[in-house]
Amino acid sequence: MSHETWQEQLRRGGLDLAILLTLSAGPRYGLAIIQHLEAFTDLVVTEGTIYPILGRLTRDGLLEAEWVEGEAPHARKYYRLTRLGAKRLADMKGEWRAFAEKIDRLMVASERAARASL
Amino acid sequence: MHLSETGESRINGYLFVLERSLRSFLPPEVVRDAVREIESHLRERVLSADGAPTEREALEKILAELGPPLRVAQAYSAERTVDEAVATGRVVPMLRAVWTLALRTFIGSAVATGLFTAYAAGTAFLVIAALKPIFPNNVGLIGFETGRWSLGAQFPLPPGATVHGGYWIIPLSIVCGVGVLVFAHTATHHYLAAWRKRQRPEL
Repeated sequence: MSHETWQEQLRRGGLDLAILLTLSAGPRYGLAIIQHLEAFTDLVVTEGTIYPILGRLTRDGLLEAEWVEGEAPHARKYYRLTRLGAKRLADMKGEWRAFAEKIDRLMVASERAARASL
Repeated sequence: MHLSETGESRINGYLFVLERSLRSFLPPEVVRDAVREIESHLRERVLSADGAPTEREALEKILAELGPPLRVAQAYSAERTVDEAVATGRVVPMLRAVWTLALRTFIGSAVATGLFTAYAAGTAFLVIAALKPIFPNNVGLIGFETGRWSLGAQFPLPPGATVHGGYWIIPLSIVCGVGVLVFAHTATHHYLAAWRKRQRPEL
Protein backbone atom coordinates (compact mmCIF):
# COMPACT_ATOMS: atom_id res chain seq x y z
CA MET A 1 0.00 0.00 0.00
CA SER A 2 1.38 3.42 -0.93
CA HIS A 3 1.76 6.16 1.66
CA GLU A 4 -0.96 8.20 -0.11
CA THR A 5 -3.42 5.28 0.03
CA TRP A 6 -2.72 4.81 3.73
CA GLN A 7 -3.24 8.53 4.39
CA GLU A 8 -6.48 8.47 2.38
CA GLN A 9 -7.79 5.49 4.35
CA LEU A 10 -6.89 7.21 7.60
CA ARG A 11 -8.69 10.36 6.47
CA ARG A 12 -11.81 8.47 5.39
CA GLY A 13 -11.85 6.50 8.62
CA GLY A 14 -11.69 9.69 10.66
CA LEU A 15 -14.25 11.64 8.66
CA ASP A 16 -17.39 9.91 9.99
CA LEU A 17 -16.20 10.46 13.56
CA ALA A 18 -15.30 14.10 12.81
CA ILE A 19 -18.75 14.80 11.35
CA LEU A 20 -20.53 13.19 14.31
CA LEU A 21 -18.32 15.19 16.70
CA THR A 22 -19.13 18.40 14.83
CA LEU A 23 -22.85 17.74 15.24
CA SER A 24 -22.61 16.71 18.89
CA ALA A 25 -22.76 20.39 19.92
CA GLY A 26 -26.02 20.93 18.06
CA PRO A 27 -27.61 21.04 14.59
CA ARG A 28 -25.63 22.57 11.71
CA TYR A 29 -26.18 22.91 7.97
CA GLY A 30 -23.79 21.48 5.36
CA LEU A 31 -21.48 24.45 4.86
CA ALA A 32 -21.29 25.13 8.62
CA ILE A 33 -20.21 21.51 9.14
CA ILE A 34 -17.56 21.86 6.44
CA GLN A 35 -16.27 25.14 7.89
CA HIS A 36 -16.06 23.60 11.36
CA LEU A 37 -14.12 20.63 9.99
CA GLU A 38 -11.82 22.93 8.03
CA ALA A 39 -11.16 25.04 11.14
CA PHE A 40 -10.00 22.06 13.20
CA THR A 41 -8.77 19.44 10.73
CA ASP A 42 -7.53 18.95 7.19
CA LEU A 43 -10.01 16.13 6.56
CA VAL A 44 -12.01 18.04 3.93
CA VAL A 45 -10.15 17.75 0.63
CA THR A 46 -13.13 18.37 -1.68
CA GLU A 47 -16.11 20.10 -0.10
CA GLY A 48 -18.66 18.46 -2.40
CA THR A 49 -17.75 14.97 -1.23
CA ILE A 50 -18.95 15.72 2.33
CA TYR A 51 -22.60 15.86 1.26
CA PRO A 52 -22.83 12.20 0.13
CA ILE A 53 -21.32 11.18 3.49
CA LEU A 54 -23.95 13.26 5.32
CA GLY A 55 -26.58 11.52 3.19
CA ARG A 56 -25.22 8.09 4.06
CA LEU A 57 -25.07 8.87 7.80
CA THR A 58 -28.69 10.04 7.54
CA ARG A 59 -29.75 6.82 5.77
CA ASP A 60 -27.99 4.82 8.48
CA GLY A 61 -30.13 6.60 11.08
CA LEU A 62 -27.22 8.39 12.77
CA LEU A 63 -28.36 11.85 11.61
CA GLU A 64 -31.67 13.56 10.90
CA ALA A 65 -31.96 16.19 8.19
CA GLU A 66 -34.44 19.01 7.79
CA TRP A 67 -34.74 21.87 5.29
CA VAL A 68 -35.12 25.27 6.97
CA GLU A 69 -36.50 28.23 4.99
CA GLY A 70 -36.32 31.93 5.81
CA GLU A 71 -33.01 32.01 7.69
CA ALA A 72 -31.07 33.08 4.61
CA PRO A 73 -32.05 34.06 1.04
CA HIS A 74 -31.84 30.33 0.24
CA ALA A 75 -33.00 27.25 2.16
CA ARG A 76 -30.51 25.44 4.39
CA LYS A 77 -30.49 21.74 5.15
CA TYR A 78 -29.77 21.20 8.83
CA TYR A 79 -28.39 17.97 10.26
CA ARG A 80 -28.69 16.81 13.86
CA LEU A 81 -27.52 13.72 15.75
CA THR A 82 -30.15 11.12 16.48
CA ARG A 83 -30.14 9.03 19.67
CA LEU A 84 -28.53 6.21 17.68
CA GLY A 85 -25.97 8.72 16.33
CA ALA A 86 -25.10 9.89 19.86
CA LYS A 87 -24.63 6.30 21.00
CA ARG A 88 -22.49 5.50 17.94
CA LEU A 89 -20.41 8.63 18.61
CA ALA A 90 -19.76 7.55 22.22
CA ASP A 91 -18.65 4.10 20.98
CA MET A 92 -16.45 5.58 18.27
CA LYS A 93 -14.80 8.03 20.67
CA GLY A 94 -13.93 5.21 23.07
CA GLU A 95 -12.57 3.04 20.28
CA TRP A 96 -10.57 5.91 18.78
CA ARG A 97 -8.97 6.81 22.13
CA ALA A 98 -8.12 3.17 22.87
CA PHE A 99 -6.65 2.74 19.39
CA ALA A 100 -4.59 5.95 19.58
CA GLU A 101 -3.34 5.01 23.07
CA LYS A 102 -2.15 1.59 21.87
CA ILE A 103 -0.35 3.04 18.85
CA ASP A 104 1.24 5.69 21.10
CA ARG A 105 2.41 2.98 23.50
CA LEU A 106 3.84 1.00 20.62
CA MET A 107 5.67 4.06 19.26
CA VAL A 108 7.19 4.87 22.67
CA ALA A 109 8.28 1.25 23.13
CA SER A 110 9.84 1.02 19.67
CA GLU A 111 11.66 4.35 20.14
CA ARG A 112 13.00 3.12 23.50
CA ALA A 113 14.14 -0.14 21.93
CA ALA A 114 15.83 1.73 19.09
CA ARG A 115 17.68 3.97 21.54
CA ALA A 116 18.78 0.98 23.64
CA SER A 117 20.21 -0.81 20.61
CA LEU A 118 22.45 2.14 19.72
CA MET B 1 -21.64 39.26 -3.43
CA HIS B 2 -24.49 39.72 -5.89
CA LEU B 3 -24.14 37.54 -8.97
CA SER B 4 -24.35 38.90 -12.52
CA GLU B 5 -26.15 37.01 -15.27
CA THR B 6 -22.85 35.40 -16.29
CA GLY B 7 -22.23 34.27 -12.71
CA GLU B 8 -25.73 32.80 -12.49
CA SER B 9 -25.13 30.93 -15.77
CA ARG B 10 -21.87 29.52 -14.42
CA ILE B 11 -23.63 28.18 -11.31
CA ASN B 12 -26.58 26.85 -13.30
CA GLY B 13 -24.16 25.14 -15.70
CA TYR B 14 -22.41 23.43 -12.79
CA LEU B 15 -25.73 22.30 -11.30
CA PHE B 16 -26.95 21.10 -14.71
CA VAL B 17 -23.91 18.85 -15.19
CA LEU B 18 -24.24 17.57 -11.61
CA GLU B 19 -27.93 16.81 -12.07
CA ARG B 20 -27.34 14.98 -15.37
CA SER B 21 -24.60 12.88 -13.79
CA LEU B 22 -26.68 12.03 -10.71
CA ARG B 23 -29.75 11.17 -12.77
CA SER B 24 -27.92 8.25 -14.35
CA PHE B 25 -27.91 6.27 -11.11
CA LEU B 26 -30.15 7.94 -8.50
CA PRO B 27 -33.95 8.22 -8.17
CA PRO B 28 -35.35 11.65 -9.18
CA GLU B 29 -36.36 12.74 -5.65
CA VAL B 30 -32.85 12.01 -4.34
CA VAL B 31 -31.31 13.92 -7.25
CA ARG B 32 -33.56 16.94 -6.57
CA ASP B 33 -32.57 16.98 -2.89
CA ALA B 34 -28.86 16.58 -3.64
CA VAL B 35 -28.83 19.34 -6.26
CA ARG B 36 -30.82 21.64 -3.94
CA GLU B 37 -28.28 21.07 -1.19
CA ILE B 38 -25.30 21.75 -3.46
CA GLU B 39 -27.03 24.90 -4.76
CA SER B 40 -27.62 26.02 -1.16
CA HIS B 41 -23.89 25.49 -0.51
CA LEU B 42 -22.96 27.57 -3.56
CA ARG B 43 -25.38 30.41 -2.69
CA GLU B 44 -24.03 30.46 0.87
CA ARG B 45 -20.44 30.65 -0.39
CA VAL B 46 -21.33 33.39 -2.89
CA LEU B 47 -23.01 35.45 -0.15
CA SER B 48 -19.84 35.44 1.94
CA ALA B 49 -17.43 36.06 -0.96
CA ASP B 50 -17.43 39.85 -0.80
CA GLY B 51 -13.65 40.25 -0.53
CA ALA B 52 -12.82 38.62 -3.88
CA PRO B 53 -11.29 40.84 -6.62
CA THR B 54 -13.67 39.80 -9.41
CA GLU B 55 -16.85 37.77 -9.57
CA ARG B 56 -15.28 35.31 -11.98
CA GLU B 57 -12.27 34.64 -9.73
CA ALA B 58 -14.53 34.28 -6.68
CA LEU B 59 -16.81 31.82 -8.47
CA GLU B 60 -13.97 29.73 -9.86
CA LYS B 61 -12.46 29.47 -6.38
CA ILE B 62 -15.81 28.45 -4.87
CA LEU B 63 -16.42 25.83 -7.56
CA ALA B 64 -12.85 24.51 -7.31
CA GLU B 65 -13.24 24.03 -3.55
CA LEU B 66 -16.55 22.29 -4.06
CA GLY B 67 -14.96 19.97 -6.63
CA PRO B 68 -15.82 19.21 -10.28
CA PRO B 69 -19.48 18.11 -10.70
CA LEU B 70 -18.44 14.68 -11.97
CA ARG B 71 -16.28 14.11 -8.91
CA VAL B 72 -19.13 15.13 -6.61
CA ALA B 73 -21.50 12.83 -8.53
CA GLN B 74 -18.96 10.02 -8.25
CA ALA B 75 -18.88 10.48 -4.46
CA TYR B 76 -22.68 10.21 -4.38
CA SER B 77 -22.48 7.14 -6.56
CA ALA B 78 -20.02 5.39 -4.27
CA GLU B 79 -22.02 6.20 -1.13
CA ARG B 80 -25.47 5.62 -2.53
CA THR B 81 -25.91 2.96 -5.17
CA VAL B 82 -24.87 -0.06 -3.12
CA ASP B 83 -26.86 1.18 -0.08
CA GLU B 84 -30.01 1.54 -2.15
CA ALA B 85 -29.53 -1.85 -3.77
CA VAL B 86 -29.00 -3.69 -0.48
CA ALA B 87 -31.84 -1.85 1.28
CA THR B 88 -34.48 -2.30 -1.43
CA GLY B 89 -33.37 -5.57 -3.03
CA ARG B 90 -34.91 -4.32 -6.30
CA VAL B 91 -33.51 -5.56 -9.59
CA VAL B 92 -32.70 -2.21 -11.24
CA PRO B 93 -30.81 -0.67 -8.27
CA MET B 94 -28.96 -3.96 -7.81
CA LEU B 95 -27.87 -4.15 -11.45
CA ARG B 96 -26.89 -0.49 -11.28
CA ALA B 97 -24.76 -1.14 -8.18
CA VAL B 98 -23.09 -4.17 -9.77
CA TRP B 99 -22.33 -2.05 -12.84
CA THR B 100 -20.88 0.76 -10.66
CA LEU B 101 -18.59 -1.69 -8.83
CA ALA B 102 -17.65 -3.34 -12.13
CA LEU B 103 -16.28 -0.01 -13.35
CA ARG B 104 -14.21 0.46 -10.21
CA THR B 105 -12.35 -2.78 -9.59
CA PHE B 106 -11.12 -5.81 -11.50
CA ILE B 107 -12.87 -8.20 -9.09
CA GLY B 108 -16.04 -6.13 -9.47
CA SER B 109 -15.94 -6.53 -13.25
CA ALA B 110 -15.32 -10.30 -12.99
CA VAL B 111 -18.24 -10.73 -10.57
CA ALA B 112 -20.45 -8.54 -12.77
CA THR B 113 -19.67 -10.70 -15.82
CA GLY B 114 -20.74 -13.83 -13.91
CA LEU B 115 -23.90 -12.25 -12.52
CA PHE B 116 -25.00 -10.71 -15.81
CA THR B 117 -24.44 -14.07 -17.53
CA ALA B 118 -26.66 -15.76 -14.92
CA TYR B 119 -29.39 -13.11 -15.35
CA ALA B 120 -29.18 -13.54 -19.14
CA ALA B 121 -29.42 -17.36 -18.86
CA GLY B 122 -32.47 -17.13 -16.57
CA THR B 123 -34.16 -14.69 -18.93
CA ALA B 124 -33.36 -16.95 -21.92
CA PHE B 125 -35.16 -19.89 -20.27
CA LEU B 126 -38.26 -17.72 -19.74
CA VAL B 127 -38.11 -16.52 -23.35
CA ILE B 128 -38.08 -20.17 -24.50
CA ALA B 129 -41.17 -20.84 -22.36
CA ALA B 130 -42.91 -17.81 -23.86
CA LEU B 131 -41.99 -18.63 -27.49
CA LYS B 132 -42.84 -22.36 -27.43
CA PRO B 133 -46.65 -21.93 -27.79
CA ILE B 134 -46.16 -19.40 -30.61
CA PHE B 135 -43.49 -21.29 -32.60
CA PRO B 136 -43.93 -24.95 -31.54
CA ASN B 137 -41.91 -26.24 -34.51
CA ASN B 138 -38.93 -23.95 -33.96
CA VAL B 139 -38.54 -23.82 -30.18
CA GLY B 140 -37.55 -26.60 -27.79
CA LEU B 141 -34.94 -29.29 -27.49
CA ILE B 142 -33.43 -29.36 -30.98
CA GLY B 143 -31.45 -32.32 -32.31
CA PHE B 144 -29.13 -31.64 -35.28
CA GLU B 145 -27.92 -33.99 -37.98
CA THR B 146 -24.41 -33.82 -36.57
CA GLY B 147 -25.63 -35.35 -33.30
CA ARG B 148 -25.45 -32.04 -31.45
CA TRP B 149 -28.35 -30.98 -29.16
CA SER B 150 -29.40 -27.53 -28.10
CA LEU B 151 -32.18 -25.94 -26.09
CA GLY B 152 -33.53 -22.80 -27.71
CA ALA B 153 -35.05 -21.49 -30.92
CA GLN B 154 -34.00 -21.81 -34.56
CA PHE B 155 -35.52 -19.65 -37.31
CA PRO B 156 -35.72 -21.36 -39.75
CA LEU B 157 -35.02 -24.86 -38.52
CA PRO B 158 -31.83 -26.11 -40.30
CA PRO B 159 -32.31 -29.03 -42.72
CA GLY B 160 -32.23 -32.35 -40.88
CA ALA B 161 -32.81 -30.77 -37.46
CA THR B 162 -35.82 -31.86 -35.42
CA VAL B 163 -37.57 -30.44 -32.42
CA HIS B 164 -37.95 -33.12 -29.75
CA GLY B 165 -40.34 -33.39 -26.89
CA GLY B 166 -43.42 -31.27 -26.66
CA TYR B 167 -44.96 -28.66 -24.53
CA TRP B 168 -43.32 -30.10 -21.42
CA ILE B 169 -40.45 -27.75 -22.29
CA ILE B 170 -42.60 -24.84 -21.07
CA PRO B 171 -42.85 -25.77 -17.37
CA LEU B 172 -39.27 -27.01 -17.42
CA SER B 173 -38.03 -23.69 -18.86
CA ILE B 174 -40.11 -21.71 -16.38
CA VAL B 175 -38.72 -23.68 -13.43
CA CYS B 176 -35.13 -23.39 -14.74
CA GLY B 177 -35.54 -19.70 -15.62
CA VAL B 178 -37.05 -18.71 -12.29
CA GLY B 179 -34.49 -20.86 -10.45
CA VAL B 180 -31.52 -19.28 -12.23
CA LEU B 181 -32.93 -15.75 -11.79
CA VAL B 182 -33.58 -16.30 -8.08
CA PHE B 183 -30.07 -17.70 -7.71
CA ALA B 184 -28.54 -14.75 -9.61
CA HIS B 185 -30.55 -12.23 -7.60
CA THR B 186 -29.67 -13.81 -4.25
CA ALA B 187 -26.00 -14.04 -5.22
CA THR B 188 -26.04 -10.37 -6.29
CA HIS B 189 -27.62 -9.34 -3.00
CA HIS B 190 -25.04 -11.32 -0.98
CA TYR B 191 -22.19 -9.85 -3.04
CA LEU B 192 -23.38 -6.25 -2.56
CA ALA B 193 -24.09 -6.76 1.15
CA ALA B 194 -20.60 -8.24 1.61
CA TRP B 195 -19.03 -5.33 -0.28
CA ARG B 196 -20.94 -2.84 1.86
CA LYS B 197 -19.97 -4.66 5.05
CA ARG B 198 -16.30 -4.56 4.03
CA GLN B 199 -16.51 -0.81 3.40
CA ARG B 200 -18.42 -0.12 6.64
CA PRO B 201 -17.88 -2.96 9.13
CA GLU B 202 -20.15 -1.28 11.72
CA LEU B 203 -23.25 -2.07 9.63
